[in-house]
Amino acid sequence: MAISAAQTDGHHAPDLTSSEQDALKDLWRVYDGSYEEIGEESERALAADPEFGPLIQSMPREQMQAQSQRSRDLLSRAIVGGDWEPYLSDLREQGAGYAQMGISFTSWYRAVGVIRHLLMDRLTAAYPEPERLVAVVAAMDKWFDNSMGIIGDTYLNTKEQTILRQQEAIRELSTPVLTLMDGLLLLPVVGVIDSHRARQMTDQLLQAIHKHRAKVVVIDITGVAAMDTMVANHLVQAVDAARLLGASTIVSGLSADVAQTVVRIGVDLSRLNTVGDLQGGVSDAMRLVGFQVQRVGQHNDPDGPEARIS
Amino acid sequence: MSIPILKLGDRLIASIQSTLTDEDLTRLKDDLANQVGDLRSRGVIVDVTAADVVDSFTIRTLLDIAQVSKLRGADTVIVGLRPEVAFAMVQLGLRLDGVDTGLDLEEGLAILDARSHGVANGR
Repeated sequence: MAISAAQTDGHHAPDLTSSEQDALKDLWRVYDGSYEEIGEESERALAADPEFGPLIQSMPREQMQAQSQRSRDLLSRAIVGGDWEPYLSDLREQGAGYAQMGISFTSWYRAVGVIRHLLMDRLTAAYPEPERLVAVVAAMDKWFDNSMGIIGDTYLNTKEQTILRQQEAIRELSTPVLTLMDGLLLLPVVGVIDSHRARQMTDQLLQAIHKHRAKVVVIDITGVAAMDTMVANHLVQAVDAARLLGASTIVSGLSADVAQTVVRIGVDLSRLNTVGDLQGGVSDAMRLVGFQVQRVGQHNDPDGPEARIS
Repeated sequence: MSIPILKLGDRLIASIQSTLTDEDLTRLKDDLANQVGDLRSRGVIVDVTAADVVDSFTIRTLLDIAQVSKLRGADTVIVGLRPEVAFAMVQLGLRLDGVDTGLDLEEGLAILDARSHGVANGR
């Protein structure tokens, strides 16, 4: 959010000299004179557009007219009155809106191209003398370029924010701490562990230990694709921190590949309590917490009844 | 500020209630070393719940307390390390090797109970 605020605030009105301002006013006289006409013609031209067509058709007539009137007022205020800010903020809203609707930037260029073309025809007719026409077209280009830049910026910002939100969501989702039973937590780790994620993982684990008063934690790394010294270091840190809160940790799910890698790169995991698979990890952990799982109806326990109470 | 040491049966409980200076910590270590012998205690619990900062000197003192108490016949449990403190400790590479740690006072007592039980059973 902070990013977008900083960047949109940097937007300014097109930088126009006074002669360019006059040229833009000349343009506006022509545009304003046939505003409805241009609106209707561009609508017809865009009706077949794969992205804008459905949008135009789905919008109620009155809403479209109100929006068109609004843009007209804002433009008039900007070009004639020199008060650009309301128009610019409307552009920012539009850019964000298009990003949210999923309309591509290319098709937005297509729409502006249609209007530019229609406007061009009328300008050529209105200003037959070449010098005047060139000045007016130059002013139009400046205005359009500025507008497109602003829409593009907000468009990108909106998309970036979506990405940031999704990254945050992925991070949150990727480090769940699950309660298996009283005093026994499971932390399945899937994917790549970088420093940021390791930090978050350890933090969530510690909070969970504190909250659930856990005695034993199983960290399952079956889903960790690659093991290196850094990942191993993060694991050791998580285990050390958990121990400071009085919880012992079992690391489960060391695949053959991971175990080989650990040995090859010479990481010392001897301080960790490691088990091959999650099943082994959980059954070890349950023994530590003091539970024993037994098949229902299995009366003849070879270890005798005492073994069940640990 | 001196830290009060409470006697509960054959245990001693010292609760650190604020951030301590190095002198305070050293005094606590000396007091505990004396009292473990005087009161013939079998267990010591140091509660650090209120400590916001646990630095290397604190850790060394806690380790010293555990070793001294062990020599005088008492097991030590450190309890009440908060998640954020524990996290900061491991990031700084500070460890409490060889000392039992527990979530809170209740856990600490349970750990000492389990220990003395083990001794009583000859384990």
